[in-house]
Amino acid sequence: MAERVVLACLGLLFGGMAWIALGYSLRDALGPGAGFFPFWLGALGLALSLALLVQSWRGGSIAEAPLALLPRGEGARRALALLASLAVAALLFQPAGFRLTMLFFSAGLLFALGVRRPIVIALFALASSFGLFHVFYYWLQVPLPIGLLGI
Amino acid sequence: MDTLQHLVSGFAAALSPAYLTYALAGCALGTLIGVLPGLGPAAGTAILIPLTFKLDPTGAIIMLSAIYYGAMYGGTITSVLINVPGEAASVVTCIDGHQMAKQGRGGTALGIAAIGSFVGGIVATVALVVVAPPLAKLALRFGPPEFFALMLFGLCLVSGLAGRSMLAALLMTVLGLLLAMIGIDPVRGAPRFAFDVPDLYDGIGFIPVVMGLFGISEILLAAEAPALAAVRTRLSRLLPSREEWRRSIGAIWRGTGIGFFLGLIPGIGSIVPTFMAYVAEKRLSKTPERFGRGAIEGVAAPESANNAYANAAMIPFLTLGIPSSPTIAVLMGAFIINGITPGPFLFQERPDLVWAVIASFFVGNVILLALNLPLVGLWAKLLEVRFEYLAVGVLLFCLVGAYSLQQSIFDVWVMIAFGVVGYVFRKLELPLAPLVLGLILGSPIEKSLRTSLEMSGGDYSIFLTRPLCVGLLIASSVVLIGSALKLAPKTLREA
Repeated sequence: MAERVVLACLGLLFGGMAWIALGYSLRDALGPGAGFFPFWLGALGLALSLALLVQSWRGGSIAEAPLALLPRGEGARRALALLASLAVAALLFQPAGFRLTMLFFSAGLLFALGVRRPIVIALFALASSFGLFHVFYYWLQVPLPIGLLGI
Repeated sequence: MDTLQHLVSGFAAALSPAYLTYALAGCALGTLIGVLPGLGPAAGTAILIPLTFKLDPTGAIIMLSAIYYGAMYGGTITSVLINVPGEAASVVTCIDGHQMAKQGRGGTALGIAAIGSFVGGIVATVALVVVAPPLAKLALRFGPPEFFALMLFGLCLVSGLAGRSMLAALLMTVLGLLLAMIGIDPVRGAPRFAFDVPDLYDGIGFIPVVMGLFGISEILLAAEAPALAAVRTRLSRLLPSREEWRRSIGAIWRGTGIGFFLGLIPGIGSIVPTFMAYVAEKRLSKTPERFGRGAIEGVAAPESANNAYANAAMIPFLTLGIPSSPTIAVLMGAFIINGITPGPFLFQERPDLVWAVIASFFVGNVILLALNLPLVGLWAKLLEVRFEYLAVGVLLFCLVGAYSLQQSIFDVWVMIAFGVVGYVFRKLELPLAPLVLGLILGSPIEKSLRTSLEMSGGDYSIFLTRPLCVGLLIASSVVLIGSALKLAPKTLREA
């Protein structure tokens, strides 16, 4: 079922992109236009998605040993914690700055993943925020965001 | 003679203290990436690109190349000790390597893997020195139609050989190509699929996509799986016995040959050479029943093939600008970030860089051997790192890597989105390598096709009037038809 949903979504994406590509010129005075390649790719992708959908309906799954798409139990909790932390970090990255974001990201994620030793969490979070910032920003001169608080 | 002079200059550069340090650091970091479960060479190389921002282009490429082949070796350690390949090419090593570890011969398995990798790497690099300059000269005569046919051939090989279903691999190739269409049209300069979003005018960043597909998705998948314990095995005895040497020498040479020749073919991927080397050994063996039960040839041959392939794959990359695997595609991204375009002009325009990098392959292989044999116990210890710390560490590097390329938070969101996409695709066994190669080759292949058609005034017969084009198009058709025929009976059976 999950496979068919994903293939249908891909089919829609390909179909949509082929449709949009029709809005660009397929040909112009110099030859193939901006829409030429994406249109044919979209059409080919749509045809392949449909072929795989038909194959899937007839019982021919792509995967040799299909896995459940959505995790369950402890695995689901951990995967969700990872994704949620990443999303929050991405939201805070520029306004709060690298150091504060990573301090809370590391500490929060370690806690969510089941680490319960406060000193270990604190040391790891400090090293991975202020420590990493020092290495990248000052030593390697990699530009990292400094937040509204100047940290 | 010219080649020799260039190579000597390359060695002079590669052996300078700074470049030697970068190669050493790259080998160590690469092995670390290969060893740590949850990071393959593609994602590992991608997330370490920010470490090279401060370096000059030659230093950056030397370090990233060292990370690449270090990671290729590092994957062997997890294959032997926990039966989990650190990267795809090490899948075959699990079969006999892990059995050897269970029998208390883990040290010997890792030792022969290091020696085989060294031989494979050095031989392939010697061949690279011999083959690359004339090939680059020949490629200078290629026009857009030849480049189009060559890239098409590479994509057909990836689609034909990746994964269980050719249709699924083709679908992923098309998806990669189509994603590459987002942004400014490379021929006319008009925006496509940008929907007035400024971040989309530059297209979807290749490095954030790779980090998401390979790095984030791997961590998400690992979060669901229970932790694997390393096998307690003897790591003190690394060198094989006289009987084991006798069995391994032929396997190492044959594996090197197979890896090298398959590395020349763009798009073949790293799994095929290792499988072929393994199967060849099993077929040639007088006692094939030992395979799967700890046969040392089952480790020596695929590991030699793996490293010979890794170094030989640099030939189509450096001379034609065609990456053979996702990791080399990441290296290509790094070249482009440093303002260098791999391809036939590279040997003319930047001989200093290209020969220093080639010389660093020799140096790197020696460093890897020196690093891996004595430190194998230390690498094995790293397998005991808890998933929680590893996951946070990997995600931190992914965030830094994705953001720092263009100081764009949009790239971070792209990485997260492709992490979820990669997680879903991997669960459904939709192959990721064709998607990545499609994404990096999308723009050049479109440019070659359209320039060819402009040259001919829209006449497609231009591809049928040039002998090399015809040869490559026939080869592409053979690959696809061959794969489809192999697929057909299976599809019918399943239906």
